[in-house]
Amino acid sequence: MHRVGGQLVRGVKAQQKRSLSAALPPKKVNKVEVFIDGKSLLVDPGMTILQACALVGVDIPRFCYHDRLSIAGNCRMCLVEVEKSVKPVASCAMPVMNGMKVKTNSDFVRKAREGVMEFMLNNHPLDCPICDQGGECDLQDQAVAFGSDRGRLQSRYDGKRALEDKNIGPLVKTVMTRCIQCTRCVRFANEVAAFPDFGTTGRGQDLQIGTYVEKFFASELSGNIIDICPVGALTSKQYAFTARPWETRKTESVDVMDGTGSNIVLSHRTGELLRVIPKINDDINEEWIGDQSRFAVDGLKVQRLLAPMIRGADGQLKPASWEEALFTVAAKLRETPAEQKAAVAGGLNDVESLIALKDLFNRFNSENVMTEEEFPETSGGSDLRSNYVFNDGIASVESADAILLVGTNPRFEAPTLNARIRKSFLYSDVQIGVIGAETELTYEYDYLGASAKAIDDILAGKGDFAKTLSSAATPLIIVGSQALKGESGAVLLGKLQQLAEKLGNGKQVKVLNVLQRWAGQTGAQDIGYKAGTSSIRKTPIKFLYLLGADEGKVTKANLDPSAFVVYQGHHGDAGAEMADVILPGAAYTEKEGTYVNTEGRSQRAYPAVSPPGEARVDWKIIRAVSEVAGKALPYSDLKEIRQRLNEIAPHLLRYRDLEPSPFVKQALQLAQTSGSIDVDVSPALRELSDYYQTNVISRNSRSMAQAKKAAIENKTNPYAEEPTYARL
Amino acid sequence: MLRAGASRCLVVGNSTLRCLSTGKDNLPVTRSHDAKKMELNDILEKPSTKVPVKVSSDETMDIGGVPLQHQDARTARIFRPARETPQSAWANTKSWTIELDNRQRWENPLIGWSGTADPLSNVGMNMKFATKEDAIAFCEKNRWEFDVEEPHERKIKPKNYGQNFSWNRRTRIGTK
Repeated sequence: MHRVGGQLVRGVKAQQKRSLSAALPPKKVNKVEVFIDGKSLLVDPGMTILQACALVGVDIPRFCYHDRLSIAGNCRMCLVEVEKSVKPVASCAMPVMNGMKVKTNSDFVRKAREGVMEFMLNNHPLDCPICDQGGECDLQDQAVAFGSDRGRLQSRYDGKRALEDKNIGPLVKTVMTRCIQCTRCVRFANEVAAFPDFGTTGRGQDLQIGTYVEKFFASELSGNIIDICPVGALTSKQYAFTARPWETRKTESVDVMDGTGSNIVLSHRTGELLRVIPKINDDINEEWIGDQSRFAVDGLKVQRLLAPMIRGADGQLKPASWEEALFTVAAKLRETPAEQKAAVAGGLNDVESLIALKDLFNRFNSENVMTEEEFPETSGGSDLRSNYVFNDGIASVESADAILLVGTNPRFEAPTLNARIRKSFLYSDVQIGVIGAETELTYEYDYLGASAKAIDDILAGKGDFAKTLSSAATPLIIVGSQALKGESGAVLLGKLQQLAEKLGNGKQVKVLNVLQRWAGQTGAQDIGYKAGTSSIRKTPIKFLYLLGADEGKVTKANLDPSAFVVYQGHHGDAGAEMADVILPGAAYTEKEGTYVNTEGRSQRAYPAVSPPGEARVDWKIIRAVSEVAGKALPYSDLKEIRQRLNEIAPHLLRYRDLEPSPFVKQALQLAQTSGSIDVDVSPALRELSDYYQTNVISRNSRSMAQAKKAAIENKTNPYAEEPTYARL
Repeated sequence: MLRAGASRCLVVGNSTLRCLSTGKDNLPVTRSHDAKKMELNDILEKPSTKVPVKVSSDETMDIGGVPLQHQDARTARIFRPARETPQSAWANTKSWTIELDNRQRWENPLIGWSGTADPLSNVGMNMKFATKEDAIAFCEKNRWEFDVEEPHERKIKPKNYGQNFSWNRRTRIGTK
């Protein structure tokens, strides 16, 4: 079995501490000159030939090599000719040397690749017409480019290699006969997902990939093995036999399942969303997305609100026309006094709809707009942006040398961020400390207790980890937004700001980073939403507008008995249940909108499909309400509403780039640092089964329900003879 | 039929007169040695200098016959598509492409085929531009508003096979 980390690492830890700093490359290195197809090129020493070729835009065919995994060198497809070398050279594993002359497309190379390809195809079934990878298969493409028109396989005598399929859970389908043993999935499982059960058994033709004993691929990143598989051995169960890549339209968009705002590509055809795959973005999600982002989209097709509804006298919600619904809402909006009105926004909203709702309430003299997610009002609250964003940026995890995780489980709150911490753990000597639950993260860490009072000790310089942090050149504190609630949350934020000030003095990093759980939260706070619904409980609210608020933070019991509740959103869930009027909105795949991720990076999502039924784009619904209510908002198209955004928060329109947040010092001055923080800051998501269903879309997703079931079952009996997901 | 053929022949003869004339009584010559040779410039008309007609980008759309509803209010997104993660080749990421704002599609209830009222929905699939400036020029010509998205360039960090075997790093792979 192929194994990284774990036991072995502990053995070398002490030794490694001594030698790692010595092993780091010197700052200034002399470049070496290589010649790729006669073109001279200066590259960093230590690069492989394949990487050097990539620098000049020469794509070397490969199966086992993957940009983000370790080098295996077993497929031999990347053979190139190097002058003065008798044999062809595997370019993925051969470092460049000064004066090396590489030919990537000579007769010699082509003959070598043709031979390799013949061997691969000997052991590969001819089932391209029924294979889901068809059309986006590396083997298919490279067989056309480098393969021969005939093979020498005598299948009459030798037979064709065939294997039984393995069951690795309800998300990933395996057809093991198609496997070419590139071991990308094994390396992914070991290096990125930290699921060391996945490995290889046997040798040569008998080599098999799998878990040896049939087992669930228990990882929140499991879907990525579908993407990295160069053939159709690992495909998506959800997408099986659905479409070919050339038939689908692709829309590059942004994911909302967690706060990181992973970039995704939505594949759709005939107005139907078919699948989600990651889009490469080195600043955010690299090349991975979590399983929720990938598979939860089937939840967008069930339990949708398709038409406006009004609760009748009999207490039943009945479908109504838009006109009726809008007039009912507008009448209530007008007649309710300003102080009895409130709006609550959920976590999946785009900034456009949030600003429209806030403007609408402001027109009616109400500033009572808030988000479901709580956040302290101290330290300047939402006014100072550095309080609630991931200040140093997600990519900074890679350069950090000490990371303190407070009240967060990034593995399930932001899987791609966790993959990056694991990457940092593997490739550098980063030290990680955790305050919160002692959960299974994918790296080793020093556990500092469940109570946040461990921060006091670190502030006082007590303990080993305090010393590690203070001696670190680039320390990083990642605090989960969930830990920052209530009175103790405010003090915790203040103390963390103190600590950040102490650690970051004179350094390039801002140290304190807040990991938001919701995709819409940073944007909502950016435009001035109050974080938390506590003010609703103070005054009796008679008109409540819920914008996708489905987490049940506000219930009927918190409101005036005669309260009128409007729910606008895309799923029939907790919010719709308590509503008197339902206005059907659009999900993130159906509208153009701006999302601000936890770093404060503004990104645009694009619609792949149109909203189903009578549903409409959210900000337009609010605009329509405002017009019927007699106080029309001064924007009527996307450009105008973005102009409005530009007035409030111009950084929201500076898409793609990270806007640094100043006023860290001022936030510290305003911070509340006295008080007890002796509270348990264990995050809510602790096990894999907690991960799959965290929002309204994934709660309605069949595949996520199956995955959750499989994860629970895997926990209780990992070696079940026939797990129930096998029968699904 | 025959007469018609003969008259046409005469017309053709007239047009060829200039090159095969005896120069006497405008009669066509029948044998080539009777023909008087002329210079090419005498036969061809004098070349007139070409004056370029200025066509501003506005006019192309005015005279192009594109219906009004497809001229305005379109927003194009100019970007370089990312590499598709299921495949490892980068060739498709080199050119710029245009995608117009997505308009509604519907499914025919009878046969299930998909339809749209947007004749430009396939622009992005069929057009590729070498540079973003080309794409911008195309959008300007068509009077589309546009947003340019800069691509996320990949970063190539040196890595080596030896890491798998280093004794003092966490990158070490135990067994396979």
